Amino acid sequence: MISLKGQVMETLLSGGFICKTSDELAFSFLQNTENFASVEQQLNLMNRTIANANDGTVLFCAYQGIGDDERKVVNSQFREITASLLPLIEWLVLVQEAKGDNSPLSEGKVVRLNELQSVIEDTPAFSEQLTKISRYSLFNSSSSAVDAQLKLIFKRLLELGYLLKPNPDNQIFVATGKVDYLFEVIRFIDESENLNLAEQAEEAIKQGDLL
Amino acid sequence: MSHPLQAAGIKFLKILAKHSDVIMKAYLSGRVNELDFDAKVLEKLTEHGVLWRPEPGEDLRLRSSIRGLLENNLRDERNRQLDANIGTKLALIKTVTSHYKEALHHQNYAEAEVYIEDLTEHVYGLVDSLKSNVRNLWRRIHNEFGYVASINAKIRENELAQSQLTEMRKQLEMFQFDELATIAGTSRELRRLLVVQLQRSHSEISQELSIAQSKLIDLLGKFRQYLHRYQLLKGFVLHAQQKPDYQVKDYSAKHNVPSLFNHAKAIIKPASIDVNNIEHERLFAEVVSHIKEIRHANVGVKDKRQAQGFEINDIEQIDIESDLIKQNVESYFCQVIDSGQGMSALEYHQQNKLTLDKEVWVYGVINGYQGLSSEEQDFFEIGTEGHVHPQFNGNYIIEDVELGLR
Repeated sequence: MISLKGQVMETLLSGGFICKTSDELAFSFLQNTENFASVEQQLNLMNRTIANANDGTVLFCAYQGIGDDERKVVNSQFREITASLLPLIEWLVLVQEAKGDNSPLSEGKVVRLNELQSVIEDTPAFSEQLTKISRYSLFNSSSSAVDAQLKLIFKRLLELGYLLKPNPDNQIFVATGKVDYLFEVIRFIDESENLNLAEQAEEAIKQGDLL
Repeated sequence: MSHPLQAAGIKFLKILAKHSDVIMKAYLSGRVNELDFDAKVLEKLTEHGVLWRPEPGEDLRLRSSIRGLLENNLRDERNRQLDANIGTKLALIKTVTSHYKEALHHQNYAEAEVYIEDLTEHVYGLVDSLKSNVRNLWRRIHNEFGYVASINAKIRENELAQSQLTEMRKQLEMFQFDELATIAGTSRELRRLLVVQLQRSHSEISQELSIAQSKLIDLLGKFRQYLHRYQLLKGFVLHAQQKPDYQVKDYSAKHNVPSLFNHAKAIIKPASIDVNNIEHERLFAEVVSHIKEIRHANVGVKDKRQAQGFEINDIEQIDIESDLIKQNVESYFCQVIDSGQGMSALEYHQQNKLTLDKEVWVYGVINGYQGLSSEEQDFFEIGTEGHVHPQFNGNYIIEDVELGLR
């Protein structure tokens, strides 16, 4: 069938992200300098190059040189990312808080839909938050049931490549490197616009403690 | 060892068993509420060194030895005290060694026996306590300080563990093997205990400690990263709440697009299965097997099946159009046999003024000939008349057939 290199090229050219969780074979293939160079060479023919985020743990395909046409594409994709930023971030916060976990979701972490659902159903604040998130145009749910909202959100996240479902029969999801990419984006925005997000959060948490 | 000691020990353990509720309460809450229990019981426990009062005005507390026993047995996660008081233990070992050597010198073997047993216990005790400290450390590392809730607390716990670890390493430096070797002298027993045993454990423990240390530093980095990420997330949500009209700057319009936002367009669309490719056959079969079959014709058949009568009649005569051709073909064949001369099909058609279409007739004759058994076919000879198609090579158009006898 298709060679590993072909698969890697296909994933990259179809706009996919390669990380250890989503495709371990492809990821380790690209860790080899020789393989990397040969893929890069072929991509260069199409004015493309391999870009990475989060210290090389997530790989994707970028333009080598940006002309007018490319700028249009980049611009539309940028809008897509920024439009989905807030819903995704709110969802990440919800998952983290509902799981009672200290670490935010990142590559390779597991989310169990059923566990999440029972916590959210038992906590009115979480279910309110979930309803708010599911109303965003990214997810666009009109349901009022926690069950349906969650399922729709997870389905969308699967489609967008933020999550994987290793076993189709189980409602267990694994986060991919794209989640880490999202963090990189926030960090980038935070740094380049001097938003001081971390300080704001700390301040708010401190005030919450005082109250 | 001696009889009265055994009796006293049993008595002490019985006291512990009898007042286990008091002890466990003290263990769990850290102190004893004196109003909850009988004053006599508390007094008795204090007398036996189970409880103690640090200051006159303070509450009664559990003795650290009892607490240590419980923590050890219950494998209590809260057991986070590292006992690294090695200096005194080493001193004790040295003292007991001197006692032993003196007893040997005076040829008091019974006493020496007791001392060497004592010494063995001390040495193993020391090694054991060191090892359990390391194990304890590892346990905390393995569950990533799961016993505290917030990430900040985890960072603090990690720092505490690191300081304890440094302390342990410092204490390990107190082992001076040249000195211990001198003390052991030529005695085989002593060398085994003081040099071989201790040295082996020492190297094992210090190796484990350095692994633990790197792991701790790793974890600390991870915790800090978690914390930072969480703060970023939370901060972004807060920011969006405070400034609802906030828009992310358009980085894609910059002269140098940041590599994060430089996303190439997807140019490969999903491919489909090639039905002619053998390699795809299995996949194709799978897809086909998943197609749901809907048979509308079957809907409602069930009730029609019930109670339906039927009649048995003679099979009606069916007039098949080809009967006419068949009869004519038969008579054509008969005429050829009777006359013994060949005749073309179209000639017969003309002669008998058949109403059949000429093409159908010729085809019927060929069909009739092919329909004969091979023995019967051998009587006849069939020849075709026609022409080659002007445009397409090799296509022969039959216009007429001639049938004759062999």
